[in-house]
Amino acid sequence: MAESRGRPGSAGQRPTGGDKAVATQKKQYFRRKKVCRFCVERIDDINYKDVRLLSSFIAERGKIVPRRISGVCAPHQRRLNDAIKKARNIALLPFAASI
Amino acid sequence: MRIYEELFIVKPDATEEEIDQLIEQMKSVVTTAGGTVDKVDKWGKRRLAYRVDKYREGAYILFQFTSAPETVKEFERRLRVSDMVIKFLTVRIDETLKRLEKRKKDRDKRAHRKATAAPAPAQPSVAQQMLGEPAPAAE
Repeated sequence: MAESRGRPGSAGQRPTGGDKAVATQKKQYFRRKKVCRFCVERIDDINYKDVRLLSSFIAERGKIVPRRISGVCAPHQRRLNDAIKKARNIALLPFAASI
Repeated sequence: MRIYEELFIVKPDATEEEIDQLIEQMKSVVTTAGGTVDKVDKWGKRRLAYRVDKYREGAYILFQFTSAPETVKEFERRLRVSDMVIKFLTVRIDETLKRLEKRKKDRDKRAHRKATAAPAPAQPSVAQQMLGEPAPAAE
């Protein structure tokens, strides 16, 4: 569901895919520009102990959200990955969350 | 000498005294090897994200110390031997701290330059009238 919204083209082919396409029938190609949250808020330190920050970048099942969806820039995504994996190791975040 | 951070989880059924005793023990491991303990932080009991050795929660303890790399080996061995500790994680943080400090310094410098460069054309007339000297550079 979330993927179809982020990928270009797919929204046009499948108008029923995302909620945006339903809301604006004519402007199907409209997408908001994503910005890296770490760049905007000037968060230098992506720490593995900061569970609240990290948990906003993991999906419901405990997976790391890809940056094509979250909009995080490459250097920050790399550090974010490291931090999430460290946090998983010490049981602050789940490897696989059950629903 | 390097700076390390050690986060470990103690069984939830351990008493406060046992935990304090363990902390003292681990402190002595670092100090006898010629290192210094910079910070000890007890987070208290927390829910674990997954089950570890049949435990669903545990008491987190955070150590920050400066020592030689060999000390970490001994420190980890002690944690492994101790039957109260169910999980631990060692992170070397001196390079991260250095990087962060540099980032901060660069940012401050840039902000400082911006502050001094921007108000220069407009400010002097007012400031000179008030004080008879150039506008303060900082802030």
